[in-house]
Amino acid sequence: GMFAQLEVLEARAHREAVEQEKKEQREEKLALLESRVRELRLRRDELRDKVDLQEKGGLGKEGMGSDPALPSARNVLEWRIRSLKGLLQVFHLTGISGKLGKGRMSLTLSTAHGGSHLDSFHLEFLTRPELRIRRHSIPSFIPLEQLSRKFLPRDLRGFLDQLSQHLNAFAGRRFQAEQLQEHFSDWIVGTLQGNSLCNLLVFKYNIPGNNRNFPFRARLLYQDPCRSLPTEVVVSCS
Amino acid sequence: MDETVAEYIRRTVLKMPRDEIKMMLQKWGFLSEAQLQTLNFHQIKENISQEVVQLCEENSADIKQAAVLDIIYNHIYQNKRMWSVYQMKKTGDELEYFDLKEFKKKFKRNLRSALKNVTITFREYEDNAIWIRVAWGTPYRKPNQYKPSYVVYHSQTPYVFISASVLKSNLPLLCQALMVASNYHDIREMELRGHSLNSLKDIVFKRYSQNFESYCPKPLQERTVEPESVDLRITEENRSEKERIQRLNREVYGDGPQPILEFAQYMLETMFKSDLKMDVLDKKEPFRCLVKFSSPHLLESLKSLAPAGMAGAPLSPLLTCITQKARNCFRIRDKKGLFPESFVSP
Repeated sequence: GMFAQLEVLEARAHREAVEQEKKEQREEKLALLESRVRELRLRRDELRDKVDLQEKGGLGKEGMGSDPALPSARNVLEWRIRSLKGLLQVFHLTGISGKLGKGRMSLTLSTAHGGSHLDSFHLEFLTRPELRIRRHSIPSFIPLEQLSRKFLPRDLRGFLDQLSQHLNAFAGRRFQAEQLQEHFSDWIVGTLQGNSLCNLLVFKYNIPGNNRNFPFRARLLYQDPCRSLPTEVVVSCS
Repeated sequence: MDETVAEYIRRTVLKMPRDEIKMMLQKWGFLSEAQLQTLNFHQIKENISQEVVQLCEENSADIKQAAVLDIIYNHIYQNKRMWSVYQMKKTGDELEYFDLKEFKKKFKRNLRSALKNVTITFREYEDNAIWIRVAWGTPYRKPNQYKPSYVVYHSQTPYVFISASVLKSNLPLLCQALMVASNYHDIREMELRGHSLNSLKDIVFKRYSQNFESYCPKPLQERTVEPESVDLRITEENRSEKERIQRLNREVYGDGPQPILEFAQYMLETMFKSDLKMDVLDKKEPFRCLVKFSSPHLLESLKSLAPAGMAGAPLSPLLTCITQKARNCFRIRDKKGLFPESFVSP
C-alpha cells in the first residue's frame, strides 16, 4: 500500500543521495588535485624565473625581469606561525610566559630541575585600577600572599622572580624525593617521611653489602625555600 | 584482649563489604599473612568477623590497633562522611619545617591535657595527608569508640578537613590541639561542606581545572568531534549562539572535570519593600528564605545548564563563584543604607 510506496521512494532517494555524495567526493578530490597542480606550476615558474635571473647575472635594472615572484601569502603566514611558535617555545623555556589582555594579564610559571620539565603554575592578574591577583593555581604552602604583599603592585619583576624561585625550588625538591624513592627503592627501608613543602626529609636506608641490621637514618633540612639542595644533613646510625 | 576491643573489631569488620575484607586486613598489617590464609572469606560476614576477632585475640590486639583498622576503613570510604573545611591563620611569616613527630607529640599533649579520656590515632598517607582519629570520653567515662571524629591535615597548609562526631562540644578542644600542633593561632570554619573529601581538597588547594590562558607546549588533546551529519537536509540552527554558550562555559568552568559537591545553599534575608501607602506588615521583620540546590554532582549539572538550554549564559555569579570562592553556603542580605541592594556577606 502507501507505506510500501513510501519505502520504495525513500530507498531510491537514499541510493541517489549516496551516489551524489560519491560523485561530489570525486569532484572535490579532482578539484584539490587541480589546485595542487596549479600550485606546483606556479612554483616551477618562480624557480625558473629565479634561475634565469641568476644566469643573467649583474644586469642593470633594465635587464631585470619581473620581480622574483613574491612569496605567496600562504607561505608568509606559515613562516609567521612557525616563528611565533618558536618564540613562544623560547619564552616557555625561560620559565615565564604570559599573555596580556584588556585589563587582564595571565602568566604561566614553568618549573624544571636538572633538565626535566616539571609542573606549570598559573597566575591571572587584573591590571586596573591597580595590579592585583585575580586567581591562581599556586599551592597553598607557597607563601604567595606574603610575596604579593611585599612586592606588588610596584615591583612585578621582583615578585615574579621570587615566586619563580620558590616554585622551582619546591618542584625540584619534590622531584628529587620522587626520584630517590624510585631509583633507590631497594636501599631505602620503609617510606620517605616528608611534608608538603618537601623541606624536611627523613628516611632510613641501607647500603647494599652493609649489615642490614643497622640502617642509617638521614634527616635532610632545606632551610632556604628558594634552593633545591638541603642546608643541613644529619646522618645517624643506631 | 578486652571485651570492648573485641566487639569493636567485630563491628568494624562487619561494616566492610565482604570482598574487601581481605584487602583491608592486609593494609592493617596486624594479622600475619599466615593468619590471613586461615580465614575463609567466602562464608557469611558474621562468621568472618568472629574468626578475625579470634585471630586478634591470639595477637592480643588493643584499642590502638583497632583504631588503626577503623581509620583504614574510613579512609577508603571517606565519601560516606560529611566533611567540613576549616581555615587556620598564622601570625608570623617564618618558614615552617613541618616535623611530623613534633606535630603528633604536640597534638597529643595538648588534647590530653584538656581531656584525659581520649583515644588518638594517626596515619599518614602518600599524598602527605595526615589522618587523625579521636575518640572522645568524659572525665569519668572511657572514650566512645563508635562516634570518633576524623581530621585530615596536609602539612604546611592552612586547611583542615574535619568530619566531626555528633558531640559538638568537643570541637573547640580539637581545634585548639590542631592550632597548637601546627603553629597557627586562629581557626574558623569555612562555608564549604561536602561528602567528597578529594573534591573539597581540589577546591581549596586549587587543583581543579581553571581555564588559564597559557601557552601549552604539549598539543591540546583532540576533542572528539562529532562527525557532521552529511545529510544536507539537516541544518543546525543557532550555531553561533551554541558556540557563544560553549565559550562562556569554558571560561567559567574550564575543560576538566569539576569537583564533586552535593549542594549549594543560599540564605536570603531581606526586608519587604513596599509603598509607604501599602504598609502591609505591622512589624518590620526581615523575610528569610533558604534556597538549596542539590545534585549528585552539582557543578557538572550547573555547567550543563546553559548548553542544555535550561538557563541563559552567562550564569549568575552566585552560582559560578562556588569553586573560586571555595564556599557552597552563602548568606545574602540587604545592604544597609540608602540603596538597598543585595550583597553576599563574607
